[in-house]
Amino acid sequence: MAIEVQKLNVYIKGNHILKDVSLTLPERQITCIIGPSGCGKSTLLRTLNRLIDTTEGVRVEGKVLVDGTDIIGSGAEIIELRRKIGLVSQRPCPLPMSIFENVAYGCRINKMFKHRRQLVYHVQRKLKEVGLFDEIKGRMRAPATRLSIGQQQRLCLARSLAVQPEYILADEATSALDPISSKTVEDLFVSFKQQYTIVMVTHTLHQALRIADNVVFMYLGEVIETGPASDVFNHPQHELTQRYLSGIFS
Amino acid sequence: MTAGNRILKDRVAHGGMLAMTIVGVLLVAVIAAGLYLKSRAVLDSTSLWTLLCGSEWRPMQGKFGFLPFLAGTLWVTMLSIALALPVSLLTALFLTEYARPVVRKCVFPLLDILAALPSVIYGVWGVLVVVPWISRRLAPLFVDFSTGYTVLAAGIVLGVMVVPLLVSLFIEVFSTIPKELREASLALGATRWQTAWKVVCRKTLPGIMASTVLAISRALGETIAVLMVCGCVIGIPRGVLEPCYPIPALIANNYGEMLSMPLYESALMFAALLLFAVVLVFNLASRIVLNRIGCDNS
Repeated sequence: MAIEVQKLNVYIKGNHILKDVSLTLPERQITCIIGPSGCGKSTLLRTLNRLIDTTEGVRVEGKVLVDGTDIIGSGAEIIELRRKIGLVSQRPCPLPMSIFENVAYGCRINKMFKHRRQLVYHVQRKLKEVGLFDEIKGRMRAPATRLSIGQQQRLCLARSLAVQPEYILADEATSALDPISSKTVEDLFVSFKQQYTIVMVTHTLHQALRIADNVVFMYLGEVIETGPASDVFNHPQHELTQRYLSGIFS
Repeated sequence: MTAGNRILKDRVAHGGMLAMTIVGVLLVAVIAAGLYLKSRAVLDSTSLWTLLCGSEWRPMQGKFGFLPFLAGTLWVTMLSIALALPVSLLTALFLTEYARPVVRKCVFPLLDILAALPSVIYGVWGVLVVVPWISRRLAPLFVDFSTGYTVLAAGIVLGVMVVPLLVSLFIEVFSTIPKELREASLALGATRWQTAWKVVCRKTLPGIMASTVLAISRALGETIAVLMVCGCVIGIPRGVLEPCYPIPALIANNYGEMLSMPLYESALMFAALLLFAVVLVFNLASRIVLNRIGCDNS
């Protein structure tokens, strides 16, 4: 199922951050949200899993339909929604526990397994999916902070995948990584698009060019242009999009 | 200003700050040495073992057993921390993880006021409220008679005194957690309580420990409020409904009186040295534990 955003307005401490945002994020594809700094990309992403609620003085209006259910409003099942929508943040943020416990944490709080053996198998499988298992095989009990930044980001990805989400939100997930780690994580996202609907905020146009199936271009809180990546990159309709893509502003 | 002048000023500032630091550190050493020198007389006449483990306190006969005072100090301090710790921890978690900014704005000044209240006010509150409540309501459920001036009264009063300090320290500690860490947990479907308990508290465990040690050190030395409600009866308390006589109360009650008695002043100085040693040992031990936790938690 896709995510559908309808007339979404977000205000933070009275400032109008997102203005009448309406778009569809197609399923089993990678949608890249691009735009200059401060255009509301991250705010939009954080609204999709209601993490925006943790921001002081926030007011959200409009509709965000996830699997056909509006997640805005007090009646929404936020805990289940967040389990369903994984998040990989800009900087890797390992929890203060071991490598194993980091991945097991979400499974434990969501009570996914009855037996420890099932949990261990599941954690190992997720670590294998992100290509980390062989690198850390003998160090599962070591603190997660001892991993390199690139490994930590893959661990965070494994942690998100462990709770079996249907969507993955990535907020500039490769911007803090070295080029090799960045490429590894990027390739992982591409390989995951058969299983998950991926929404990715990125600052790097080249990255969007490489991996995006769809592109959303935002400017000052508004969606200026949206559509298949080939259309937006090759034949941008809006003048702002053309100027942004040609590097006149960033 | 010439470069030479600036460098000279920098050196003077460096030297001045270094001197002040050394004075601060030396002061501790001077206090310890002074207390030791003053305690020499009683240490020469009685063995350290007898002083620490003896429970006979007869200054007229030159018998000084500090066990009842040591026990009283530890009873009251540990009880106060046991009472204050959960209250402070939950209050700080509520204020940092759950409360709206407007609630925080109202509660923080109140906590500051509570922390700034003179201890004698807590003592008076203890005498007027806590002691009668223990004597009339609580104690009759367990014992035949109690004046209310007990370990429990001292523990409650001291615990209430320690709460604002602990809450402030815990809030400081919890505030060091980056927002991203909380969000990483919430994004996995964790509730706020799960995030607070399993992530925030876990991450800040060394800070929680350090804050608690600071509060214990403060509680160990608290004098007036405890003195007013502890009963000041020499004896090893066998329960929280018995009176006690902590070391600070012993010194405050007796120093300046009957000092003509041989060894009495020296014995009181030894009491101060003992308190000093308890705080020192406690701090050193906790630092070792903190280092271990820090290594495991990093």
